[in-house]
Amino acid sequence: MIKLENVTKVFKGDNVALRDATVGIDKGEFVFLVGPSGSGKSTFIRLLNREEIPENGKIFVAGKDIAQLGSWKVPYLRRNIGYIFQDFKLLPNKTVYENVAFALEVIGRPRHVIKKQVPAILELVGLGSKTKNLPLELSGGEQQRVSIARAFVNRPLILLADEPTGNLDPQTSIGIMGLLDRINRTGTTVVMATHDSGVVDTLRRRVIELDQGVIVRDQARGVYE
Amino acid sequence: MAISPVYALRETGQNLRRNSMLSLATIITIGVSLWMFGSFYLFDFAVANATQRWEGGIEFVIWVNPGASTEQQNAISDAVSTSPQIRDFTYVDQQEAYEEFKELFAETPELIEVVTLDVIPPSYRVVPADPDADVVEELASQFRGRPGVRRVVSANDTIRAIQQQADRIGFVFFVGSIILLLAATLLILTNIVSAIRSRAREIEIMKVVGATNWFIRVPFMLEGLVQAAVGALLAWGGLYAVDRHVIDDLNNAASLELFTGLQVSEDEFLFTSVFVLAIAVAVSVVGSAVAVAAYMDR
Repeated sequence: MIKLENVTKVFKGDNVALRDATVGIDKGEFVFLVGPSGSGKSTFIRLLNREEIPENGKIFVAGKDIAQLGSWKVPYLRRNIGYIFQDFKLLPNKTVYENVAFALEVIGRPRHVIKKQVPAILELVGLGSKTKNLPLELSGGEQQRVSIARAFVNRPLILLADEPTGNLDPQTSIGIMGLLDRINRTGTTVVMATHDSGVVDTLRRRVIELDQGVIVRDQARGVYE
Repeated sequence: MAISPVYALRETGQNLRRNSMLSLATIITIGVSLWMFGSFYLFDFAVANATQRWEGGIEFVIWVNPGASTEQQNAISDAVSTSPQIRDFTYVDQQEAYEEFKELFAETPELIEVVTLDVIPPSYRVVPADPDADVVEELASQFRGRPGVRRVVSANDTIRAIQQQADRIGFVFFVGSIILLLAATLLILTNIVSAIRSRAREIEIMKVVGATNWFIRVPFMLEGLVQAAVGALLAWGGLYAVDRHVIDDLNNAASLELFTGLQVSEDEFLFTSVFVLAIAVAVSVVGSAVAVAAYMDR
């Protein structure tokens, strides 16, 4: 599903965010990206979403080298990739329902599809009773659930999550990880960057550790350290 | 994927509401600048119509009696074409003069109905070698009273003054309107940049979930277009008022003989309106395209 071949990403001032990274992730896998701040976890995620382009190497997503993808094709790539942010990035003036519907509306999904899929995904994330609430009327955990619903409502093949529990307390984080685990069991590949040793050690999934842009560990059923 | 018109209009409406004061300022600036620009054209047309036969340095017109004999006509023609004091001349025959008459009085068809081709005099429009008023007057007087000449009319100081004043006022209007159009373009740009910044998170989400660039851009570009279109509508109203209540009133004012003949035909008004609308579209396209290209991809 995802394959990186000798990928190097360098930012201004010779700041190497990822150095000669080679790794493969199969369909349906759940992978944690761990490592200290500045180790390259977020860059890894952003490269998969074509928010960044590598200086060297190839990145295959579903068989296509996305580094070579024409910019007009990028939106179509992203429709197959859900993205979850640490700070949720919900639209404060839209209700829970509207926030999720927005993701379908802006890619031109017909209204009848939106009306069917949005309530279903909100039920899945446990927010079926809060569709008319505004984000500020929800707890942090609930807001992250809305963010997950928005990322998953189009049924993407891959779900990328950049520190999704970074703003949440441990108890709420467990709930969010349970939700991501359920989504992963539907066949969706999940790649999650995290600092949260608790969730990594609890779930015991594949762990890829980065340090100064280099993959230093790739462990099945791994732990944080 | 085609952008839904309902979505585009809704988003455009929201953008306009969020920046209502700036939008209003933009619309007024566009309206005033286009009104000035259009007025410049209307007055230019009106003055050109009023002084039509005095264009190109023509200083006097020899009207030939329509009933003049061939000998008389030949004598006048020889005198005009051989005079060393005449640099250039144009002979306007009856048919051409009739067409010009019809054009000049297009707004008063009842007059055109009662005037027939045979009563319209042909004429010589003369450009003297020396434009000095005394020399011109002396030259014109050589033709007055000649057999076959009905009348000799000089371009008097009034005509020259109208043309010069119209040129000066037109220039001020033109420069002023260009500066205002530039300001309007910058206002549209600022307005859209402000809208893009206020919706930065929405744009980020749209990109992440896979909205196409055009889907994201169209509402912002429509916003500029709507502002320009409303501004053009205001300008059109102003131009209509200028045409009907300023130019026509000047033309009809009995005490202001100076302005008799000032008028704009329907075709000229239509041309000015379409031109003003085209400029509005150009201003909005330039303003919004620059804003979107410069700030959307940051």
